[in-house]
Amino acid sequence: MITGIITFLIIFAVIGSILYGLKLAKTEKIDAVFGNPERAKGGAHWIIVGSSFLLIAWLYYSWDLAKSFYPQSANELCQVAKVNDSMLSLKYLFPINEREFKSTSIIKAENKNIEKLANEIRNSSTIRNQDKDKLLDFIKKTKRTIPLLTNEILLENKTKIKLNELTNRIIGLTEDFQKISYPPKKTIEEENKRIEALKTQGGWGSSGTAVENTIEIPTIPETKKGLKFDAAAKELIFISDDFFKLRNHNTQYKTLIKEIKDGIKKYRSELDETHEVASILAKDVLKIARRIEYASIFPPKTLNDMEQAILEFDKVQKKEQGGLRLIDIFLFPTGTIISSGPNCSEQGSGRWLPKPSDTLKKFTLLLKPSVGFKNIPLIWYEMMDVSKIVGFILPDWIADIIPGKYPIHSNDGTVKPNFKSKVLNVVTGEFKLFKIPVPMGHIWDSFLRVLLGLVLGIIFGVPLGLLMGLNRFAKGFFDPLIELYRPVPPLAWAPLVITVFGIDNVGKVFLLFMVSFSIMIISARAGASGTQLSKIHASHSLGASKWQILRYVIFPNSLPEILTGVRVAVGMCWGTLVAAEFLAGTTGIGFVENVAKKYFQYEVIWITIFVMGMLGLLFDIALRKIITKTIPWHGKG
Amino acid sequence: MKKIISFILGTVVALNLSISVANAAAKEVRVAFFLEWPTPNQEDKVKGMFEKAMGVPVKWTNFSNGGAMTDAMLAGDIDISYSQGLVPFINAVKSKAPLKLVDVAMEYGMGGTTCVTSKASGITSANGSELEGKKVAVPLGTMAEYVFDESMKVVGADKSKMTVIQMDPEEGAAALVSGDVSMACLFGGNSIKAALTVGTRLLTVQAARDAGIKGIDITSVTDKFMKENPGMLRTFIEVTHEANARYAAGKSDMNVIAKDAEMKLGDMKETLGGFVFLNAADTKKSMESGGNLDGFLKGMGTPNGAVDTSFLPL
Repeated sequence: MITGIITFLIIFAVIGSILYGLKLAKTEKIDAVFGNPERAKGGAHWIIVGSSFLLIAWLYYSWDLAKSFYPQSANELCQVAKVNDSMLSLKYLFPINEREFKSTSIIKAENKNIEKLANEIRNSSTIRNQDKDKLLDFIKKTKRTIPLLTNEILLENKTKIKLNELTNRIIGLTEDFQKISYPPKKTIEEENKRIEALKTQGGWGSSGTAVENTIEIPTIPETKKGLKFDAAAKELIFISDDFFKLRNHNTQYKTLIKEIKDGIKKYRSELDETHEVASILAKDVLKIARRIEYASIFPPKTLNDMEQAILEFDKVQKKEQGGLRLIDIFLFPTGTIISSGPNCSEQGSGRWLPKPSDTLKKFTLLLKPSVGFKNIPLIWYEMMDVSKIVGFILPDWIADIIPGKYPIHSNDGTVKPNFKSKVLNVVTGEFKLFKIPVPMGHIWDSFLRVLLGLVLGIIFGVPLGLLMGLNRFAKGFFDPLIELYRPVPPLAWAPLVITVFGIDNVGKVFLLFMVSFSIMIISARAGASGTQLSKIHASHSLGASKWQILRYVIFPNSLPEILTGVRVAVGMCWGTLVAAEFLAGTTGIGFVENVAKKYFQYEVIWITIFVMGMLGLLFDIALRKIITKTIPWHGKG
Repeated sequence: MKKIISFILGTVVALNLSISVANAAAKEVRVAFFLEWPTPNQEDKVKGMFEKAMGVPVKWTNFSNGGAMTDAMLAGDIDISYSQGLVPFINAVKSKAPLKLVDVAMEYGMGGTTCVTSKASGITSANGSELEGKKVAVPLGTMAEYVFDESMKVVGADKSKMTVIQMDPEEGAAALVSGDVSMACLFGGNSIKAALTVGTRLLTVQAARDAGIKGIDITSVTDKFMKENPGMLRTFIEVTHEANARYAAGKSDMNVIAKDAEMKLGDMKETLGGFVFLNAADTKKSMESGGNLDGFLKGMGTPNGAVDTSFLPL
């Protein structure tokens, strides 16, 4: 419902924006020539069009449009899928979706296999000649079983009658299927039972109350059309089962296969252990014989009537689908609903691309601090005592260097604190002050890691980069180191970093630091060495000190390069972080995505992708603001 | 305008059609299996018996966990997964994957999948509740997660108070060795061996058996392959059961299996010794209502209709 309204709103917005854009293009006075960046300014209406197209594509390919405009279609298509599923085994026998008859391809393959095995026997050097003769005789007999199955004259009357019967059942079903009265009315009791069951079965779409996957498509037929297909599917399963029980085994075939089986059995029992190779080869012959026995091989034209009947039924069931078929084609792109056993499922883009409505439902659920993911909220706050911060800042050894000893327990089993132990409590944060709220959760953890890695990279990278740009020794000394480690993809370090620094935050932050560090060095160095010489000369001749030149000339001149470097580093850090959290983690967006993948929770996977996109965007917007604030001259020089 | 509309419609229709046309004829069978997880039918795999019995080439691909097997099956790259863990299969079926369970590959005690606590932590089954507040490495979504859950119930520890870290067995073993985690739950002979150099089993194999913790590995297959090639599937299961019978009779070529499993002969024998291979009749009993497997499936809330016993060589 809401999705439907949104869809219409989007369409109106797109049309409106396009019209506005066209009008603007006509009326606007163009005084900027081509190539002037002014021409790319503005254009909020095109943003609407762009994001609308994204949303529409998402709605369409996740089949949310189908869900909002035809909520019943999934249930009905599920019944259709049941029909298709029950016909599948039969269809595979005929060149309907295939190139050739199943019988043909089996015979082709088995003839090849027989030939191969015969060659193997003939060329074998380990078996005796008498064994070879015996084995080749078995092979010859096995080969002779095939024409016994494919000869129409040999086809037994009993089998013919049964085939006819099955064909008539399909034809009968086809006729009944077109009647309005099909399926025959059930008893009131059965009908009530179905209505009762319908109440408990949910609607189409994923659950909004559990993070875990639930069955998404209601399987019990809800509509008249659905009932019809459901009933036909049940009947078709019976027909299909009966057909596959049927074997085209005439008396001659039965005698021959028994002869082969008995012969091989006897032959193998007579062989002692020294002739194991021959024994195994005999078994291989038997396997081919049994494969042929098990396959449904019929004479070439025997099944023509049945094929016709199946094709006819297929045509009729497609016709009976009516409008549903159009919905299937147009609103279920790149796949459809298929049936597997008693359940139906979405296969195609609908499976791995969750519906926006479902994703939103799951996201709201995950955002609830009490639910979260693996007992940790996505983003929330917790009350933390300020003492913990004090304990973090003050080093623990302060307590150790205070003269005296830590208290020892006394005879009556109590421990009396002394001054030294009290100091220890303070420096480790083991005391109560007041509490303040601090953010926590998966998103916050990821955010913090990126921020820390980035800040550390800037703090160490920028001065070193500037130094390398200005000082011969620094350049020469650090260049080999930096240039060697810089081109290595950051993730190549990951296994090593995790072994050295462990799986905690230290390792991940260090990895991110490595990423941002090299980028910052390169950009700061490029900025420093790119400063216009005339500016430096000017300040020098005005009497500026070294420090003043660095602070007021070189640094501002390299700022654009540095800030661009930061923007690049942010992107790289996000990419590395997610992979690092994949490797080992207990929190973080990457961890959520990795675990969700293991449980096939596609909604959660997409949520993490969106969250990462959003956070990346936030970082970038913040940086753009900083850039326009700190270097307003950028791009205007 | 007309051109634009027809272009858009054309694209939509082309996309719809291109995906629905698929080639159905099986010219080869693609099977997924595990390394470090020795099974008697690996002898047949090496000696090409499957090819002979099924009449088509068989391509074997090794995987690191059962979830990846499911992924590959859904993507259409694998037809049969041999010895997939039950937990990944259940997760897949719960997420609406069109897969079927057609055979029990083996049942095993904690020999093959186990939780190892580091000696440094001093934690044993007697003081298992001390794990609360500690870090543990668990490959989530695998049989090891199930073993972890059950073990925690046995030792009386509250797993919600632990920090569970998602790690594959090899990484979990490494983290246990480096002291990053107090306990690692793992599967695979080499990983367990590495972990045992610095730790001990939380529950001994016997204690786990007494507590009823049992792993089940299964053979799963895509619906499509099952419908299309019932004969091949039946043959695959039959050859596997024949190999199991040969192993039970002591006639398996252990060297071949060890080499194929990429394990040392001694380790391989020990791992294999912990597996129980059921014959067809027992398998059917396990898969039917009231059986071991059935109980497991129901206990984990698996949707009905994921099991098919009709391919067992009875």
